[in-house]
Amino acid sequence: MANSVRLKKFQQVELADGRTVTVTDKLGEGGQGVVYRVKFDTGEEKALKWYFISYFKEPKKFYNHLAENIKAGAPSAAFIWPEQLTKWIDGESFGYIMDIFPAGYESFSKFLNAKVNFKSVKAMVNAALNIVSAFKSLHNKGYNYQDLNDGNFSINPATGKVLICDNDNVVGHGQYSGVLGKARYMAPEVVRGDKQPDKNTDRYSLAVILFMLLIGDHPLEGMKTNVPALTNKYDKRFFGTQPLFIYDKDNDSNAPVPGLHQNAVTFWKYFPSFIKDAFQQSFSQDSLLNIRGRLLEQDWFNILMRLKSSIVRCPQCGEEIFLESDRETGCSKAHKIKPVGYLNFTKRSNQAVTVPIFKDAVLYDYHVSGSEDFETVAAVIHEKPGKFGLENKSSKSWFVTAPSGQSATKQPGEILVLGLGTKIDFGNNNIATVVAN
Amino acid sequence: MVMLDKVQTVRRMCPVIFLLDTSGSMEGAPIGAVNSAIEGVLPELISMNDSNADNEIKVAIMSFDYGANWITGDELVSPEDLKSSWKDVYANGLTAMGAAFKELNQKLSASHGFMQRASGSVAPVLFLLSDGEPTDDYQSNLNTLKQNAWYKVAARVAIGYGESNDDVLREFTGNKETVLHTDNPEDLKKMIRFVAITSSRVASTGSSAVTPNNNPDDNTQNVAIAIQAQGGAPTPTLAPADPDDPF
Ligand SMILES: [Zn+2]
Repeated sequence: MANSVRLKKFQQVELADGRTVTVTDKLGEGGQGVVYRVKFDTGEEKALKWYFISYFKEPKKFYNHLAENIKAGAPSAAFIWPEQLTKWIDGESFGYIMDIFPAGYESFSKFLNAKVNFKSVKAMVNAALNIVSAFKSLHNKGYNYQDLNDGNFSINPATGKVLICDNDNVVGHGQYSGVLGKARYMAPEVVRGDKQPDKNTDRYSLAVILFMLLIGDHPLEGMKTNVPALTNKYDKRFFGTQPLFIYDKDNDSNAPVPGLHQNAVTFWKYFPSFIKDAFQQSFSQDSLLNIRGRLLEQDWFNILMRLKSSIVRCPQCGEEIFLESDRETGCSKAHKIKPVGYLNFTKRSNQAVTVPIFKDAVLYDYHVSGSEDFETVAAVIHEKPGKFGLENKSSKSWFVTAPSGQSATKQPGEILVLGLGTKIDFGNNNIATVVAN
Repeated sequence: MVMLDKVQTVRRMCPVIFLLDTSGSMEGAPIGAVNSAIEGVLPELISMNDSNADNEIKVAIMSFDYGANWITGDELVSPEDLKSSWKDVYANGLTAMGAAFKELNQKLSASHGFMQRASGSVAPVLFLLSDGEPTDDYQSNLNTLKQNAWYKVAARVAIGYGESNDDVLREFTGNKETVLHTDNPEDLKKMIRFVAITSSRVASTGSSAVTPNNNPDDNTQNVAIAIQAQGGAPTPTLAPADPDDPF
C-alpha cells in the first residue's frame, strides 16, 4: 500500500495506531496538501490532511512535531487539532486525521470579502472574544501559533463561535516551525528578519485579526501603501521596516483612503475610545518597531468585554451602537446619546471595566463572578421614567450599600434601583459602584 | 444594522493572463480541450477568490494566430464575469507568437495597461500555450518582454502540445520545470487545468506556505516547487478505445 502524493477514492491508509481509514471524498486543497474525507470501518468519518511531502526539508522532523502536538492535546475545544498520524513510511507522503468541519461555520476570509456577514453586533464581538480566549488557552498551554492569519479561522455568523484550523505549525515556546506566515499578518520584527515567530509575534497578529474583524480593513494599509506593484520589497517596507498605523496618533500620513479603505473610514468612528486606544497602542511605532506595549490576551479580553456590555440601541432610531460609559456617543444618523452614568467595576489586568447605565445594557457572569463567561446573562438594566433598575438574573444574591451606609440584599429576580453612589457587592470581591456623568 | 454593513476589504489584484495559440493546427480535439479546460478552471478561480482576502484573481485571455487578440477585451475581467460571458475560441491561422509577446509587453504596465489598480497588484501569472513553431519574429519581442518589470516577477508557465517548440517556451518561462508537454488532447485538458490552478494558487496566496525557495520574488520557481510537490504533471491517461485509431 504505497502512499502516493494524491490519494484515490476507496484507497486505504494505515494510521500510526494500526487502524485503517478509507478515502471517500476530497474536501479541499491548499498549498501544503489535500484534505480528504475518510471513514473508519465503524462508519465514523474524519478529515485526513495529506501533505505534499516534498515541501518539507525534514519530513520526519515535522512528523515527530505533529506527534508531540497530538500527545499534548488541543488547547481548547475551539481548535480542530490533529488526532492521529498516518503510519510513517520512509520517503512517502503522510498526514493526520482530525474532525470534519461542522456545518454553519464560514472562513474568516469570506467575512473579509463580504461574502458572509455577522447576524448581530453581539455575534461579531463574541467572535473577537472567542478568538482571544482560544489564543489565551494556546499560549497558556505553552504553544505559539506562528502563522496566525485570516485563513486559520472559521466563524459562525449567528453566534460568533470560532473554530481554528491549520494548527500544524503550532509549536512549543522557543521552538520554530520554519513557517514565517503571511506578510500582512506577520509581526514587523519577523518581516524584518530580526526575530522568529513567538508568543509576542502572535500577539501582534492577534491585534491585526481583531482590527480586521471589527473595523474591516488592514491596520497598516492606507495612503502610503498604495503603490502599483506589491512585490516582497514593498511588503518588507510596509509591514516590516516602515510600518505605520492608519490611525497613528502622531502621524496621519498613512490615513485610510475614502472609497478604498472604506470600512475603516466608515466604522472606526463608531467604536468607543477604549477600543481606539487599544488599537493605537497595539500599532504604535513603539510596538511596531520596538516590540513594546503589545496587549496581552487578558487585556484584550477585558477590553472586548467592555465593548460587549456597551452594546445598546439608539432610543431614536433603534440602531445598535457601542455606547461610551462616560461621554456622548453618536449613532450613524447623528443622534447624540449619553448615559446618566455607569457601573464602575474594579479594574482587571489594569483595564477599566464599566457598563453604561442605559436601557437593556447587559452584565454577564464575567462581571458578577469574575469568570470569563461572556455569554451567561447575569443582570439587565431597565428604565422607568426618572430611574434605572438592575435586575438580578444571576443565581446569587447581591449585597447593596448606599452612600448613607444603609444596606440591603437583592435576591435573584429582584430589581435594584441604581442610585448615585450605590455599591453593589456581587460576591467574591466583584464590586461595582454607580457613578454619575 | 449599520455596524455590520461592511464592504469587501481592500484586495490587491493578481492577474492571471493566458496566451493561447489558436493556429490552424490546433483545430479539432486540441482546441476543444483548451476550451473545456478554461471553462473548468474558472469555477476554481472563483472559489480561490472567495477564500482569499489578500489578493483577487482577475483574468485576461489572448488568442494568437495571424495576430494577437485579447478575447477578454482591454481590461482584466473577474472569473465570474468571464464564466458567464465565455465563448469558445476557434483555431485558424498562423502562430504569431512574436505579436503575442509584443502585445503582452504593452499590457504589462501600471500606467496604461492591465496592471492599473488603486490598491496595487501582485506578480501576475503568465500562461503560454502553443502547438507549433512561431511564424513571426518572436525573438526580438521576447527580448523586449524580458525587460518588463512585471514579466520579471511573474509566475511564468507554459504548455507545449504536439509539434510545439519547447525551447521557445522554456525561453519564455526562464525555468524548464514550468514547461510541460503532451501530445494527447485528453491530457492537454488536464494539464492546462493543473498548471493554471497551481500557478494561480501560488501567485494569489504568495509565499505563505512552507517553501524552500530562497528568493520569494521568483514566483516562477515557486510554481516549479508547487508542481513538483504535487508529483509533477498529471499522469497520462490511456487514449479512448478505438480500434481504427492509427498510432
Ligand atoms: Zn439613532
